[in-house]
Amino acid sequence: MTEENDKLKRLLNTIHIPEPDEEAGKRALTAAMAEFQQLKEAEEKKVKGFSWIRRLTDKTLRGGPVMNRQLVITAGTVFSIILMVIVMMPDFMSYRKRSISLPPQETMQEADFKQAEPTPRLKKRSSSASPARHLFVASEQRLADKAERLDQTYVGRDRFETVTPNPVNRVAEEPVSTFSIDVDTASYAFVRRSLNNGTLPQKNAVRIEELINYFDYDYPLPDDRSIPFKPTVALFPTPWNPDTKLLHIGIKGFDIIARKRPRSNLVFLIDVSGSMKNRDKLPLLKNAFRMLVDTLDPGDSVAIIVYAGAAGTVLEPVKVKEKGKILAALDRLSAGGSTAGGEGIRQAYALAEANFDPHGVNRVILATDGDFNVGIRNPEELQGFVERKRETGIFLTVLGFGQGNYNDALMQKLAQNGNGVAAYIDTLNEARKVLVDEAHATLFTIARDVKIQIEFNPAKVAEYRLIGYETRRLRREDFNNDLVDAGDVGAGHSVTAIYEITPTGSTVRRLDDLRYGKAETTGPERVEESGEYAFLKIRYKLPEAKASRLLERAVGKESEYQSLDSAPGEARFASAVAAFGQLLRGDSYLKDFTYDDVITIAEPIRGKDRFGYRAEFLNLVRLAKTARAMGDN
Amino acid sequence: MDTYSDIELVGLSVDGDAEAFEYLVKRHYMTVYKVSYKWCGVREDAEDIAQEVFVKLARRLKTFGRKSSFRTWLYRITVNTAKDFSRKAATKRVYEAAFVSEQVLNNPSPLKDEHIEADRLYKSIDILPEKQKAAVLLVFGEGLSHREASQVLNCPEATVSWRIYQAKKRLKKSLEHEI
Repeated sequence: MTEENDKLKRLLNTIHIPEPDEEAGKRALTAAMAEFQQLKEAEEKKVKGFSWIRRLTDKTLRGGPVMNRQLVITAGTVFSIILMVIVMMPDFMSYRKRSISLPPQETMQEADFKQAEPTPRLKKRSSSASPARHLFVASEQRLADKAERLDQTYVGRDRFETVTPNPVNRVAEEPVSTFSIDVDTASYAFVRRSLNNGTLPQKNAVRIEELINYFDYDYPLPDDRSIPFKPTVALFPTPWNPDTKLLHIGIKGFDIIARKRPRSNLVFLIDVSGSMKNRDKLPLLKNAFRMLVDTLDPGDSVAIIVYAGAAGTVLEPVKVKEKGKILAALDRLSAGGSTAGGEGIRQAYALAEANFDPHGVNRVILATDGDFNVGIRNPEELQGFVERKRETGIFLTVLGFGQGNYNDALMQKLAQNGNGVAAYIDTLNEARKVLVDEAHATLFTIARDVKIQIEFNPAKVAEYRLIGYETRRLRREDFNNDLVDAGDVGAGHSVTAIYEITPTGSTVRRLDDLRYGKAETTGPERVEESGEYAFLKIRYKLPEAKASRLLERAVGKESEYQSLDSAPGEARFASAVAAFGQLLRGDSYLKDFTYDDVITIAEPIRGKDRFGYRAEFLNLVRLAKTARAMGDN
Repeated sequence: MDTYSDIELVGLSVDGDAEAFEYLVKRHYMTVYKVSYKWCGVREDAEDIAQEVFVKLARRLKTFGRKSSFRTWLYRITVNTAKDFSRKAATKRVYEAAFVSEQVLNNPSPLKDEHIEADRLYKSIDILPEKQKAAVLLVFGEGLSHREASQVLNCPEATVSWRIYQAKKRLKKSLEHEI
C-alpha cells in the first residue's frame, strides 16, 4: 500500500516541467499588480479623493514597509524618478480567455472526433498550434470589432475614417450650413509623408480643412482683447470654375504675450511599445519633447507616464526649473512590449488631476504611433473617458508618430473629444512647428467650442458646398446648443473655411430647381434685396465660461472681389491649398484644374513664410504630379 | 522581505502595501505554475492559469481567513482555477514533448521507463473524475496529507481518503490495461 503510494508520488514528480516563459511570468505579475492597485485605488478613492497618488509615491520611495519613514518626509519635496508598474489592462485576462474559448468550430470538430475515437488518450494536438491560433483569433476579432465600430478603411495598415465629400446644397432647400471648426493639422503631415515617399496618400487621409489650416494666415486680429478673434471674409471667383465664387472665411486668434502666459501643468503620456522603436518614432518623439521642454517656463510642471505592456509613471510632476531631471527621464525611455494605451490615459489624467492648477493650463500630451491594443480598447469607451475628463478642465493633445500602424481615426476622435489638437509628427521640423513655433496655440486655448453657421441668401446664392470639414458638420440646432462640443482655437491659431457658391441666375448650376418647390416665401423681415450674399454667425466660449458668445456679420458687396488677382493673398493661398486637397482626393468638382494651376496660384503668395512651410507646400504639389497611387507599381 | 512570512505579507498587502503583494506573487509564482502544469500538461495553459490565480489572489486578499495556512488557500485557488480552465479549454496534454526530455529519450536507462510510466499515469489521471484528479494531484503530486488536502478541497478528510481510494482503483486498472 505504502509502496504503491510512494510509487505514485515518485512518478508524478518524475515529469519534466518546462520553465514558464519569462514574459508570461511578468505578465502574471503585472496583471496581479494591476488588479491589486485598482482595488486599492477604488477603495482609497472612496475615502480620500485624489490623495492616492501621493501615497503611492511615498510607498515606493519608502522602499519597504518597514524602512525608515522619515526618509520620505525629507525626500518629499524632491521627487526622484521612479519606474513603477502601476495598473494594467484589467480586461487583458478576459481577452486572453476569450480568445482561448473562442472558436466554436474547433470544439465541434473535437466533439466529432471524440465520438469517432473512443480512446481519448490517443487524441493529440500539437501544442505549438494552440497559442498561435489564439493570437490569430484574437487579432482577427480585434480587427473585426474595430471595423464595425469605426467604419474605417484599411489601406496599408494606417487607418482612416471614410470621408465622403460634402454634397452641393440648394439654398432654397437648405439655406443654413453649420459646422465646428477644426484646427488639427495631422492630415497635412501625413499627406506630406506619403508624397515624400513618392506615393499619393490614401484618399481618406486627406482632410482638406486640415491641409488649409496647416498654414498660418495673416488675418487681421481683433482690436479688443475681450473678443478672441474676428472673422475676415472674402468673396472671389473660383480658380477652378469660372461660373462659381469662393466664400472665404478666416479667423485668427490673438496670441498670448509671454509674460501673461498661464502656468502649464503638462503630463506627457508616451507610448513605448515595441512598435515605437523606429527612428521616426521614439527617438523623434524624444527630440520633440526636449524642444517642448525648452520652451516652457521654469514654473511650469511636467510629468511623464509611459505605457507599453503596462503603464507606469516615469517622472512625477517636476517643475521645469529642474529641467535636467525631465531630460534625463526622457533619455532613459526605450521601446518594447504591447500597447496598453487605455490604461496609460487613465493614469495620465489621474496625475494631471493630482497636480491640477486651477489657474493654469492642464493638459495631457499623448504621443503614440496609433494602436491601443490592450486595456480600454473600445474606442467609444476611451472617447467617453476623455470626454468626461474634459469637464474637469484637463485637455488632451494627441501627437501621432510613424507610419504603418497609424490609427488616425482613433487619434482624431480622442483629440476631438478631449478638447484637444491632433497633430502628426513626421519630421523634426514638424515637431518644431507643433511644439515650439505653435506651442502657444497647442497649449493655450483662447476660445472653446467654436461653431460657424452661415445662412445664404436665396436671392443671391443658388447653391453652395462646404469644402472640407466633412467630419465636423453639425446639425442646425446644434449651433445654439452650448452642450454640443466643437473645436477649440488656441492662441495665435488661424482657422479657414471655404464655400464654393453658385450665384443665382448662373447657367451652370449643378442642381435643378424643384418643380413643386415654391421659389420664394415672403416674410416680414426679409433682407434678400439688401445685396447680402450670406449672414455669418460664430459662436464660441471663453476658456472658463460655460455660456457661449455670438459674433455676427453680414457678407455683402464690400467683401467681394471681381477677379482672383485682386482677392487678398491669404485667401488665394488658402484656395490653392483647397484645390490641392480636392485633387488629391480626386473630387469631381475641379473640372480640368491641375497641379500646375495650384502652383500658379500659390507661388506668388509666399507671405512671410518664416519657416518655409509655403515653399514646402509648392514642393509637395510638384511631388504629387509624379507620385504613384497606392497599389500601383 | 525574505524574512516576512506569507501571512505577514498578506497582512501588509491588505493594508495596501504594493511591494508586499508583489513579493508574495513572486515567491509563489513557480509553485502555482508547477501545480497548474501538472494539472493541464501544457506550458501556455499553465501560464494562463497561474496568471489568473494571482489576479484572483489580489481580489480575494481580504477574504483570507487566518484559520487556514496561506499555502492551503493558494492551492485551493489554483485547483479551482485549473478546473475552470480545463472546463473551458479543451486543450490536452502534450505528452512526449513536454514530459520526457530529449536527453532522457536518447539515453536508454531505467529512468526512461520511469518517464514513460509517469507519462501514462498522467494520461490516466486526466480521465479521472475531476474531484479524484484533484485529490490525487494534491496528495501524490504535492505531497499533502489527506487532512491538508481536505482543507484545500473544502471537504471532510474521509472524503479525500475515499476519493484517493477510488482513484487508485481506477488508475491501477488503466495502468494494467495499458501494459
